[in-house]
Amino acid sequence: MKEVLAVRDMQVRYPTSGGLAALMAGKRATSIDVVCGVSFAVAPGDTLAIVGESGSGKTTLAMGLSGLVPVSGGDVVLDGNAVAMNSKGFLQPDRRRISVMLQDPVGSLSPRMTVQRLLAEPFRIDPELADDPDAAALRLLDRVGLSREFAGRYPHQLSGGQARRVGLARALAQKPGLLIADEPTAGLDVSIQGEMLNLLAEVQRDMGLGIIMITHNLNIVRHAATDMAIMYLGRFIEQGLPQRIFERPRHPYTAALLAANPSVNPATAIDRIQLLGEVPSLFERPRGCEFHTRCPRAQDVCLERFPQRQGVANTQVWNCVNPVD
Amino acid sequence: MSAPVLNISNLSVNYSTDRGTLHALRDVDLHIQAGRIVGIVGESGCGKSTLISTIIRLLSANACVEEGEVLFQGEDLLALDAKAMRKLRGNELAMVFQDPMTSLNPVLSIGRQMLDIQYRDDGSKAEKKSRSLHMLERVGIPDAATQLDRYPHHLSGGMRQRVAIAMALMTEPSLLIADEPTTALDATLEIQIIQRLRQLQRDVGCAVLFISHHLGVISELCDEVVVMYAGEVVESGGTRQVFDAPKHPYTRGLLECDPASIQASDNILPVIPGQLPDLTDPPPGCIFQPRCDRSVAQCSSQRPRLDGQGHRAACFVATS
Amino acid sequence: MKNFLRELSRDTPGMIGFVIVIIVLALSVFASVIAPADPLEIDVYNRLASPSWQHWLGTDQLGRDIFSRVLYGGRVALKVALISISVALLCGLLLGMIAGFGPSWLDRILVVCFDTMRSFPTVMFALAIMTLTGPSLNTVIAVIIITSIPVYARVVRTQTLAVRNLDFILAERAMGASTLRILRDHILPNISAPLLILASMDVPAVVGMEAGLSFLGLGVGPPTASWGSILNDGYSYLRNSPWPIIAGGIPLILVTLGFTFLGESMRDILDPKLRGKGALNQ
Repeated sequence: MKEVLAVRDMQVRYPTSGGLAALMAGKRATSIDVVCGVSFAVAPGDTLAIVGESGSGKTTLAMGLSGLVPVSGGDVVLDGNAVAMNSKGFLQPDRRRISVMLQDPVGSLSPRMTVQRLLAEPFRIDPELADDPDAAALRLLDRVGLSREFAGRYPHQLSGGQARRVGLARALAQKPGLLIADEPTAGLDVSIQGEMLNLLAEVQRDMGLGIIMITHNLNIVRHAATDMAIMYLGRFIEQGLPQRIFERPRHPYTAALLAANPSVNPATAIDRIQLLGEVPSLFERPRGCEFHTRCPRAQDVCLERFPQRQGVANTQVWNCVNPVD
Repeated sequence: MSAPVLNISNLSVNYSTDRGTLHALRDVDLHIQAGRIVGIVGESGCGKSTLISTIIRLLSANACVEEGEVLFQGEDLLALDAKAMRKLRGNELAMVFQDPMTSLNPVLSIGRQMLDIQYRDDGSKAEKKSRSLHMLERVGIPDAATQLDRYPHHLSGGMRQRVAIAMALMTEPSLLIADEPTTALDATLEIQIIQRLRQLQRDVGCAVLFISHHLGVISELCDEVVVMYAGEVVESGGTRQVFDAPKHPYTRGLLECDPASIQASDNILPVIPGQLPDLTDPPPGCIFQPRCDRSVAQCSSQRPRLDGQGHRAACFVATS
Repeated sequence: MKNFLRELSRDTPGMIGFVIVIIVLALSVFASVIAPADPLEIDVYNRLASPSWQHWLGTDQLGRDIFSRVLYGGRVALKVALISISVALLCGLLLGMIAGFGPSWLDRILVVCFDTMRSFPTVMFALAIMTLTGPSLNTVIAVIIITSIPVYARVVRTQTLAVRNLDFILAERAMGASTLRILRDHILPNISAPLLILASMDVPAVVGMEAGLSFLGLGVGPPTASWGSILNDGYSYLRNSPWPIIAGGIPLILVTLGFTFLGESMRDILDPKLRGKGALNQ
């Protein structure tokens, strides 16, 4: 099937201005690589889960794709057409094709607007989308399964789950081809996480959406994703089909992540791979394989260069010279 | 078995709000034996925060303890005066919060704060310092000697939480209350801290009241579980008893909803339909009845009690 | 608005302030109806009279009815306050939002300008302008506007900076909302509360400043009544009669109290962070 979005070797680099003091001391402007060279493709109806801990660059990747932060390199192809970049490095995708749901459900809604106004907003921004913004807003409310009585509420009067639904409704207004969902279940109670994921799946089926789901919750990936990528310090270190990766993780970091996922069922407990320390700072990116500072299986070669990709494309690939068996 | 460190019985707490009286806690029973780790499981609105605030006596001004008692080592906390309570807090009763930044003073070095917390103890400054150092090493802080001179903002979230735990355990309390201490941390760190906490608890021998919404973490760490829903304890018992053979429909629903426990890679995930009841006007019968798929006539008229010992559930149709 | 009044009615000082403000506004607006005499009418036989049924607050050194002069003086005071504060507020909003939301080089330039303007001592600046242009009400208004703009702009800039990187602004940008729409629909409503409070608290300061300038003879010209000029006249004849000073001072005190109480109360009502008394949301 034709892909909605294909990304090759995308990079996001932030300049770190040391300020006036650094300038006077004669230091040159430096930068940190937040996303360094990731490639993936999403087809309609597919869900790519990008998994990573804080500082892995997963949110920055999403912001780059939606044109909110400048991209410093790589090719992005949307619906078969290369996406142009403007002079400042912001991607200029067709706004209507990609929409985003940000992480904080209540915080991403303008606090002094009612749900009705919030939902009509996308149609006011782009009047071609609907003739009657208010009627279209009510249709959206129905679409995400909220009753009409919510139309008059303000964001702070919504629960996390309800605010999430409003966020989804806004994202669907432009009838996108690709939806980027940043932590769609963060902060939701276990008993309603399922509702949100089920709704996403339903919307995806009806609209043929491609979804990029950014999450740190491995448990939902297993159920909601058709593809997954594990991100560490700006790189995908393992990528492939969820069932393969869950069954047999090859990169030691993936294995550690899976093991660090306590379950109520002690029978599923795996032998823990103990990781040392914490994710290094982006300012002090380790040489070679970024993971070697914490890796229990690191070898001398890991300190020298980032490992080559191994495995079978589209099934499971990993970047490690000494993978877990 | 030894006497319970914390014994809460029949505790009901109300808030007076614009919309009327909000019944935040109703007839809560909770017992923690010395040296045990008890986990409270509950989703938002279950009354966890009110319960903690009641124990440490930091309820907001519009709250009122309707009835019940909170016995800590045989002393009624609700009857203590402010001075006695202050002495207890941070000495016999320690807390670790979700965000360690709120419990650490940003303008004092870690070492200084760890000295300050020992102000009640005798001993020279050098002794106290070596005790701080030892404690930091025990919570797994590398290069502890240099960390003593650093400030909270120098440390990462995981390190800060370790410092907070070290400080809480410094005074060898009888009870440690840990309110979602790992929620803000990444999974690989969470598991490190949980394991460390378990080990420290064994060494210090204190009881722990551990609050989390993460069922897996509770299962990993706790000896006993208390399941709360909308201000009531609906089920309690040994961790394995509760998680392996849940009696209350809510507990069962919660376990079914936990994506970690679903093995089938089905696209449709189970949910508990419905919403929390309005606590200003709770249903007359069982609190969970409006969302329960097993309710019988009795459930909507009579309130089930949490009776008996060991593994118990407040439910008329409880499966065993 | 209904909510606001309900909240206000629970706060006694706030309610007192609100009532004072309403009374002062009404007295000034309807001065021509209420005033028992023409404030400019001279009656040399009745100079410096004590309060009587005919002259409620007595008369000044030219025999003019002080009560009427106080009412008309209120007009001047409030006219200065309302015009200068609203113009300064609008300009401050515009400049502050440009500084807070625009590119960082523009922000730096504007901040330097604001700080330079603020570093002038207000009274010195006013004296210099008055010396150049001669005293008049319009000059007073202009001076107050110029010295207030940087204060408002600073506040607006800080508020804008705090709001601009919040998630909902990001969400709007991701949706393709224009800068104008973001500023007008999303930033303005979220920064307006602290500004209204600031403006309300500024009224007494501006009224006091106008009185001060008029007292120094730098404000409105002689025949026109202003609280400052009433005080000035009274000051010269303090040994003969205390009434002009009392009559000119009391409205100043009332206005200060009224607007300050109201502003404090508004802050408590509008700032949700200070609303600790509501139900625990948990």
